[in-house]
Amino acid sequence: MALKRRNRGETAEHPPAGDGTVDRVAAVLPAPPLSQAGEPRAAGAPVVRLTDIAKRYGDHVVLDGVNLEVREGEALAIVGPSGAGKSTLLRCVNFLEQPDRGRIEVAGHAIGVDEKPSSRRLAELRRSSGMVFQAFNLFPHYTVLQNVSFAQRRVLGRTAEEADACSMQLLERVGLKDKAAQYPARCSGGQQQRAAIARALALNPKVMLFDEPTSALDPELGLEVLAVMRQLADEGMTMIVVTHEMNFAKNVADEVAVMCDGGIIEQGDPKQVLVDPAHARTRQFLRAVLER
Amino acid sequence: MDAYREILGGLPTTLMLGLLALAIGAIGALPLMFARRARSLLLRVPARAAIDLLRAVPPIVWLFLVFFGLTEFDVTLQPFTASVLALGVVSCAYLAEIYRGGFMAIDHGQVEASQALGLRRRDALRFVLAPQALRVALPAIVTYALALLKDTSLAYTIGVREVLFRANEETQLGAASPLSILLFTAAIYAVLSIPTALLARRLDTALRSKVAR
Repeated sequence: MALKRRNRGETAEHPPAGDGTVDRVAAVLPAPPLSQAGEPRAAGAPVVRLTDIAKRYGDHVVLDGVNLEVREGEALAIVGPSGAGKSTLLRCVNFLEQPDRGRIEVAGHAIGVDEKPSSRRLAELRRSSGMVFQAFNLFPHYTVLQNVSFAQRRVLGRTAEEADACSMQLLERVGLKDKAAQYPARCSGGQQQRAAIARALALNPKVMLFDEPTSALDPELGLEVLAVMRQLADEGMTMIVVTHEMNFAKNVADEVAVMCDGGIIEQGDPKQVLVDPAHARTRQFLRAVLER
Repeated sequence: MDAYREILGGLPTTLMLGLLALAIGAIGALPLMFARRARSLLLRVPARAAIDLLRAVPPIVWLFLVFFGLTEFDVTLQPFTASVLALGVVSCAYLAEIYRGGFMAIDHGQVEASQALGLRRRDALRFVLAPQALRVALPAIVTYALALLKDTSLAYTIGVREVLFRANEETQLGAASPLSILLFTAAIYAVLSIPTALLARRLDTALRSKVAR
């Protein structure tokens, strides 16, 4: 899986590291090839498949039968106005929201909504995905290193030494090695969000879910988070990113889905959809974004 | 001088009474709090009723109910045992509410982060939620513990030979002036309480400085 996940970055100029011995730690983040953004990539097998997802709160329809498929190595951006159901859809992928109808499949773990999933099956589904929240949600009573190591030990059963070694590699990759011993409260928002990304990556997720990861950050701090996300995308991580960062959606994502009123109104190549949208509502939304 | 020594001799009883009641409360409050927070009405409603009732009746009335009331069911308890039980059960209710406040203060994002990481509920509770709840609840717990320490003096009314009981004895024996005996008694409680409060405040500041923004 780890090897296959590299497929997006593998080109003639940048073949995969050919040693063939990918240990558990290195598999978390393979050596980064240079940015290949913009080049067409071979699409892999579907990692996330949402079928007919519906969700309502009382009379208010939040999601109205949404279908979505994300292939291995693909970076999908979900954009759209507030209240469109973007975050709710993302949170359905790992069952933080339970949809009223539909079927969710993540890395081969499928849960239909008519069944009540056991906590074990829920844990399996959630283990296949990593989530990054708008508000970071780091554990404030743990240091940055402990934040990244904790779930590795409790969920994957790694020893403290294994977990810490893996965590330090990840922290180095997100540029936070020197913050390992700090508590989150002593870190900037950008640093906290990068630590949260490392924490999610530490469990070797098949897909990373980003829920407006830069919305709580000022533009500069947002950039350092976006840089890490771009690096991940270039390395071939499968990702779903709910965002208002149009440049990220346009330049980094392989695909963009525009949501409005609980449904996907337009989906396709970001350079097409975000530059010359087919749907009037998309045009209206993009005009508002540009006018800011 | 013998009078003062005699009063001080009640200190172990006072401390034991307070600590045992606190221990019962600290442990018994856990199931009570979880029942109070449960989704099921069958658990939540009785837990809430129990908490309200325990707090609505003065501790001394509970003490009398346990000590005198239970004799009608042929349960005869030693005064010390009855006091530990009565104060312990009342503490369950107060501490359950204090714990609950601690849990309610935790941002829901902590629960979501734990779920998203695939942590078992038990692990999330033990390693993520409980430490943060305890930290929030700590000042209130200490405040309650100090109030409980002073409430142990109620046990004097059913004949437990703790500090106040002995002070009362000594004033009646007339070995020293009542004022000096009572001031001495007051000083004992103060000497126990004030350093504890200071320590708790320092601990709270230390913990807070680590996590505060």
